[in-house]
Formats: sequence, C-alpha cells, structure tokens
Amino acid sequence: MTFEFDIIIDALPALLEGAKLTWYITLLGLLGGMTLGVLAGLGRTAGTRQVGIAASGIHIAINRTLQTVSFAYVELIRGTPIIVQAMFIYFAMPMLFEVLFEVRGVRLDAVTAAVITIAINAGAYIAEIVRGSVLSINKGLIEAGLATGITRFQLYANIVGPLALRRMIPPLGNQFIISLKDTSLFIVIGVGELTRQGQEIMASNFRALEIWSAVAVIYLIMTSILAFALKFFERKMRII
Amino acid sequence: MNRVVEFIDVGKRFGDLEVLREINMKVEFGEVVVIIGPSGSGKSTLLRCINALELITEGELIVNGISMPKQKRRAREIRLEAGMVFQQFNLFPHMTTLENVAFGPRKARGFSRKEANEIAADLLDKVGLADRSGYYPSQLSGGQQQRVAIARALAVKPKLMLFDEPTSALDPELKEEVLTVMQKVAEEGMTMIVVTHEMSFAAKAGTRLIFMDEGYLIEEGDPKAMMASPRTERLQNFLRHVT
Ligand SMILES: Nc1ncnc2c1ncn2[C@@H]1O[C@H](COP(=O)(O)OP(=O)(O)OP(=O)(O)O)[C@@H](O)[C@H]1O
Ligand SMILES: [Mg+2]
Repeated sequence: MTFEFDIIIDALPALLEGAKLTWYITLLGLLGGMTLGVLAGLGRTAGTRQVGIAASGIHIAINRTLQTVSFAYVELIRGTPIIVQAMFIYFAMPMLFEVLFEVRGVRLDAVTAAVITIAINAGAYIAEIVRGSVLSINKGLIEAGLATGITRFQLYANIVGPLALRRMIPPLGNQFIISLKDTSLFIVIGVGELTRQGQEIMASNFRALEIWSAVAVIYLIMTSILAFALKFFERKMRII
Repeated sequence: MNRVVEFIDVGKRFGDLEVLREINMKVEFGEVVVIIGPSGSGKSTLLRCINALELITEGELIVNGISMPKQKRRAREIRLEAGMVFQQFNLFPHMTTLENVAFGPRKARGFSRKEANEIAADLLDKVGLADRSGYYPSQLSGGQQQRVAIARALAVKPKLMLFDEPTSALDPELKEEVLTVMQKVAEEGMTMIVVTHEMSFAAKAGTRLIFMDEGYLIEEGDPKAMMASPRTERLQNFLRHVT
C-alpha cells in the first residue's frame, strides 16, 4: 500500500465543498455566538460593577433577572455535550413544539440547526469570556470615566468596551477554533460539512489514510486562518 | 448663587461602618479648601460623596444647587460640575494624552471633535505637556500623567475641582510639578477641595484647612494659623506626624 496523492486530488472538489459549508456554519454560528455571548456576559455582570450610586427598586429586580437568566443559560450549555445540544435542536425541538404548542411539522433543516447549535454553544462560553474581561477592568478607570460626566452607556461604549475587548481577543480566538472544530460533530445530523464529505468518500474508496490526512490538513488550514486573523486584530488593537 | 457645596448633618455608612458623621460644611465659590486627616478618617469618602460616586446615607448634601440624596437621578449633572483628580491618575490607557483630555468635552459636553481637540490642546499647553499630546499614558512619568489627569478634569469646565491625594503616588521630585500646576489652577480662581498631606501647598494656596478624624470634621480655619497653633490635641498629634 502506498500513499497516493491522486486520490486526494480526486477527492478535493468534494472536500472543498465540505470545507465551504464548514466555514459557513462556523462564521454564521460565531456571529450569533458573539451576540448571545455579549448579551449573556453583560447580563451576568448586571449590577455587579456598581460604581457610583447603587441601583435601587426596580433596577435591582431587573439586574437580578438578567443575572439569573444569563447564569442559567451558561450553566445549561456548559453542563451538556454539544452533540446532545445538536440532537436536541434538530430532532427534539420539533417534538417539543408539538407538545407545547400543538404545531406539527416545524422542522429545521440540518444546516440551520447546525448554525443555531454553534451560536448557542459558543455563546455560553463567550459569555464567560465577556464577563471575565468586563470584571477585570480597573474600578478606578470606571470612576474616572463617570467623573467626567458621561452616561453609563457612554462609559461602556468608550471605556469598558474597548478595554475589555482587548482582553477578550486571546480567549475568543481559542473559542473560535474550538467552534470551528465542533462543526465536525454535525456529521450526526447529516450536514455535508468537511468531516462528513471525508467520511462519504472514504466509504466508497476505503482510502482512509489519504482522505483523513487531507481532511486534517484542510482543518488545520482553516484554524490557522482564524488564528492568524485574530493575531492581526490583536496587533492592531494593541496599546503601546 | 455663590455656594458650591453645602453639607447639612451629613452621615455616610457602609453597612455598620460609619465613615462620615455629622458633617456640616460650606464651600463658597473661589475657595481652596485643604482637607487633612489620618488614614481611614473618611477624606476620600467625603470627596466621593460630593462627586456622587457615593450616596450619603444621612442628612443633605447640596452640590451646585442639586440636593442629594433627594435628586440622585441628577448625579451626572453634579459630576459635570465637579472634576475629580485621583491618587492613581486613572488615565484611559487606550487613548493618547490629547484624546484623554478631549474625551470629556466631546462625550460629556457634546463638543465637536475639532472643538474638543482645541480645548484639550490649550489645557495640555497650560499643564506644560503640549509636546506630549500624541503619547499614551504608559509612555509618561507619574507626574506627567497626573498633570494630564488635571487637564482632563478641567476640560469639562467644572465649577469645582476635587483632588484626592494627587501627589501621594509620586516620587518627591515629581510632586512639585503637580503642585505647581494645582497652584496655578487655584490662582485662576477655581474652587478646589484638596485632600493632601502637602502642608506647604495648604499654606501657600489654601484658603481654609479642615482636619478630619474618625469621620468627624474636627477643626477648621485659616491654614497657617491652624498649623501654627492647633487647638485640638488630635490635630497637634497629627501635625507632628506629617511635618
Ligand atoms: N466602598 C466601601 N465599602 C466599605 N467600606 C469602605 C468603602 N470605602 C471606604 N470604606 C471605609 O471607610 C473608611 C474611610 O475610608 P476613606 O477612604 O474615606 O478614608 P481616607 O481618609 O481617604 O483614608 P486614606 O488616607 O487612607 O486614603 C475606611 O475605614 C474604609 O475602609
Ligand atoms: Mg483616601
């Protein structure tokens, strides 16, 4: 048995199709994940970065609710395997709709389910990253900001946000790469992403060595692109 | 209206800890009030209450006509009129010197970028740092950072400036440049409340000296007279330590 590059050349178009879908799921999923993560991350810090006059009355109740909801979301996702989350969203959700609202036939296509799974899953981890970086911002800077007479929104937009973002980049890069690789799990719900394409070709020609080598290299290239993009962003954002 | 700050039977507690007690005090326009007192006596808390970074728990505190705690929703208006300089400078590390100073005029006062930059450039000139406008805080010495922080607070055009131990984090040779700037600000008629242990500043620039201990306002009067002949034993002891 020899390692035959021709096999890889033949398989390449199908593998690249799969890689394209992997990108699509990853990027769209991470876009959703970032949105959810920022919301839930800020939700978890609601009212904990009280500087200045403490919240009172209704604001305390709102902060508590935001904290509890965000906490429950993060714990639920961190406490269950992503593969179970994917199965739930793809197979169990339609049934849940039937049970709860008596609507039948609500069914997500597999790619949509995959995007949603990545978004929800990455969102929980990103929430922790956001929370950690926001909490790491020096209280003195927050006070100095408020002391200039800006609003709380301006404080977050101009001081807390930009500073927290810089601390988030390394752990975010980590999460982005994990999420990209997690898309390979969607083989279980029949999404034709890279791993699935590899599996199908392998099943027809039994050239496991060539195919899985090629698949691994393509993943490596994709994760390197992500890592490189984040490094570039990090360098651009660096404070002297 | 000449009164900038008025404390009426003010108390402040953190849980069970009483930090300010029965404070009665008025600061008129143009005064330079210097506050001294041992560590933990409540000096910082007093300043932070004025600037609405803390809310008082007893009595009434009127700053520029706004009464706390009744009108606590107007905290931001108070902060616009009360600039604050911190012991640790707290410059925004991701902004240049010019951006730090232009930040308040631009965001809090709504000036255009160009106008804000002009205000900032003028003030940097005034604190002697015109040639450092493109530097980041990490590229400046402590004394330079504190002068930028003073410019940043002045840039919002406050009626009152609060200084919380502005030179305590500085090496002796850097203290002087900051005190000189503060003196200049005082000479221009700015109303100032300064927590400091620099007795020379109190003597030169202060119009009134206040001694605090354990949350009480113990003694107040003309700085030089008080330093020469402290009435209370507590102040006598304290002065022996600082000078
Ligand atoms: N946010 C807070 N929560 C609880 N206690 C506080 C808080 N801020 C200050 N204190 C307490 O209030 C007391 C007075 O503090 P404050 O900082 O006003 O003193 P100070 O006179 O400025 O002291 P120093 O000279 O050390 O700066 C201290 O005992 C301090 O521990
Ligand atoms: Mg203090």
